[in-house]
Amino acid sequence: MEKVLIALAAALAIGLSALATAWAQSRIGSAGAGTLAEKPELSGTIIILVAIPETMVILGFVVATMILLMK
Amino acid sequence: MIVRMAKIEVIGPKSLLDSVMGLIREMGLTQIEPSPCGFIEKEEERCITAFLPDEKTLRERFFLEDMLKRIKELLRVLPEIRPEKGMLSAVESGQFLEDISKVLSWSHRRAGELVAKKTGLKAEFEELKRYEEFLTAMASLLPYMKASPDVDFIGVTVKDASEIMFHLRALLSRLTEDRFEITSEELEDGTSACLISIPKAYSQAVRKALYSERVMELRLPESLAEKPFPEAVEIYSRRLMDIQREVDEADNELMRISTRWRPTFEACMRWIEERLLLISATSYVFETKRTFIICGWMPDEYVETLRERLDSEFSKSVVLEKKEIREEDMGRVPVTLKNPAYFQPFELFTRLLPLPKYTSYDPTVFVGIFFPVFFGMIFGDAGYGLILIAVAVFLYLKYRARRVISDASKILFISSINSIFFGVLYGEFFGDLGNKLFGMEPIYLERREAIIPLLFFALAVGLAHVIIGLLFGVVSAMRKKAASEAAAKGLYIVLVICIIILIASLAGIFPEFFSRPLLIIILILSPFLLFTGGLLAPLELLKTIGNIISYARIMAIGLTSVFLAFVANRIGGITGDIIVGILVGGLLHLINIVLGVFSPTIHSLRLHYVEFFSKFLEPGGRRYEPLKSPESISRRSTRD
Repeated sequence: MEKVLIALAAALAIGLSALATAWAQSRIGSAGAGTLAEKPELSGTIIILVAIPETMVILGFVVATMILLMK
Repeated sequence: MIVRMAKIEVIGPKSLLDSVMGLIREMGLTQIEPSPCGFIEKEEERCITAFLPDEKTLRERFFLEDMLKRIKELLRVLPEIRPEKGMLSAVESGQFLEDISKVLSWSHRRAGELVAKKTGLKAEFEELKRYEEFLTAMASLLPYMKASPDVDFIGVTVKDASEIMFHLRALLSRLTEDRFEITSEELEDGTSACLISIPKAYSQAVRKALYSERVMELRLPESLAEKPFPEAVEIYSRRLMDIQREVDEADNELMRISTRWRPTFEACMRWIEERLLLISATSYVFETKRTFIICGWMPDEYVETLRERLDSEFSKSVVLEKKEIREEDMGRVPVTLKNPAYFQPFELFTRLLPLPKYTSYDPTVFVGIFFPVFFGMIFGDAGYGLILIAVAVFLYLKYRARRVISDASKILFISSINSIFFGVLYGEFFGDLGNKLFGMEPIYLERREAIIPLLFFALAVGLAHVIIGLLFGVVSAMRKKAASEAAAKGLYIVLVICIIILIASLAGIFPEFFSRPLLIIILILSPFLLFTGGLLAPLELLKTIGNIISYARIMAIGLTSVFLAFVANRIGGITGDIIVGILVGGLLHLINIVLGVFSPTIHSLRLHYVEFFSKFLEPGGRRYEPLKSPESISRRSTRD
């Protein structure tokens, strides 16, 4: 039972953060695409903005790894 | 590096202004400052005014602007021809401008007439074309009709011919006492074109009846409306051919004008643009009773070159003075970057950022140092590194002339070397293939097994990187003489280190007796942080710690690459066939390489842009835009 709970916790850590990242990137991505149509010179800024929410899933991955390996 | 600029003032007799401006433009190094602020002292301002052009210059300016406008209008309508260089030097030096202006007037008027004629003809052609299908069908039906002066023709289009024809025949029979003929042909859109011939006496009654039955009679274009139907069809076909011929004639005449005059007008346009640039730059000059004063900025290393040229060409009657750049000038000093050959390709990444202030740092150097290392740390695989080196060399050799691709290939080459280096440290060669084939062992750590040590390694790198950023922030703040900002950044460094050691002590990584003194240090320093950094300083401290944790991506993204390589080898192995195994494994490795190039690049850059540069880089620099001829500007932008 304990193993199941640990696995579930790790899955939630990565899964929820992945969903949050996906949602944030979808919003930023569509706004960014609109911006690029108007101002192509902002491509660098848009790439950075799209990459910013990835921190969430990466931290989720780190937490999931720690849950699984540092028990 | 941010190029060191010099604040200069060029002073000379007014009669030499044109020649001096010409020299400055030719050298293309000086950015003329339109505002006297910071250049001319308050007490001198009374006897110095903005340069007012004389009547002759104003006349010249208006003449040239009008001529340029007309040349541009003309060139827009003249067909392109192969550029020929030859006897244009006289034009390029501005001679024969009056004569060219006369030719331009004639060419401009004639080209305008021809273009207007072409537009009219094309509109007529389009109008007639709309009737083409119907009239072609009618023309094919006409031979079946008996033509006589008493016979009238009515053309109609019907949607469902098989159904309507019966009713139409009955109607016509009733109205004309059986004195009619009707024939039809199906059109491409599924409708049918019908041609009705009736005695002229019945025309009005039939037309009225057709209208009330909602059978659409075809109205011919205005030019043909009054003509009898067979004649209209003939005129129509003849007119189409005539229009085509007239359009061709107009095109030929435009081509003749273009062949004869286009190179001349283009050369003239270049000269006028340069001359106008010079005249408009002259409006930034200041004057006293007898002298002109040009204030501006230029790279410090070229000041002596300009001085020597001025001395030699104007016999020391024009003086160049280098002035001290004061603190209040710092915001106005234009910024240009110049880097050693190794760092130049990395400008590809820093061009995406806004220009740094003159007092700040060129981010290119930092990207050039840290980006390849981060890339190698994430994508550390000796096999992949070798493939990327081959790709980089291929791209460089094939696209050497294209700057963006050439720079990208150089960055890829340097990053790939780091990939190989870290691949050897991690013991990875196409994942675990190196270990299986020739017993390759990790020198530092095996990423697949040592996930937690790898996480600590990534965080340690982050800590070092962010601390370096904060140190530069301290130096930058001190250069600006912003003591409280420098102190706040210094405190961030101390507090971040204390917090990290405290966490490590509590987690058992460091001895526990560290924790109490560290806690006391943090508590003592916190009020100072509020005092120096303001109320938002604790939030900034938390952000800094978040920035360090963000470096965990080095471990996380690296791991995905390792596991993908491992999976590729496993799937290749379980196929049981050596050729299929190589193909499947190779394909998966290829996907991994493509992902592996893209992802580490984006994340390494993000670590720089968001986590590192935010600690010290000050954007908002003023771009260095020296006065130079438009041609050299366009040559430079083509190279870019």
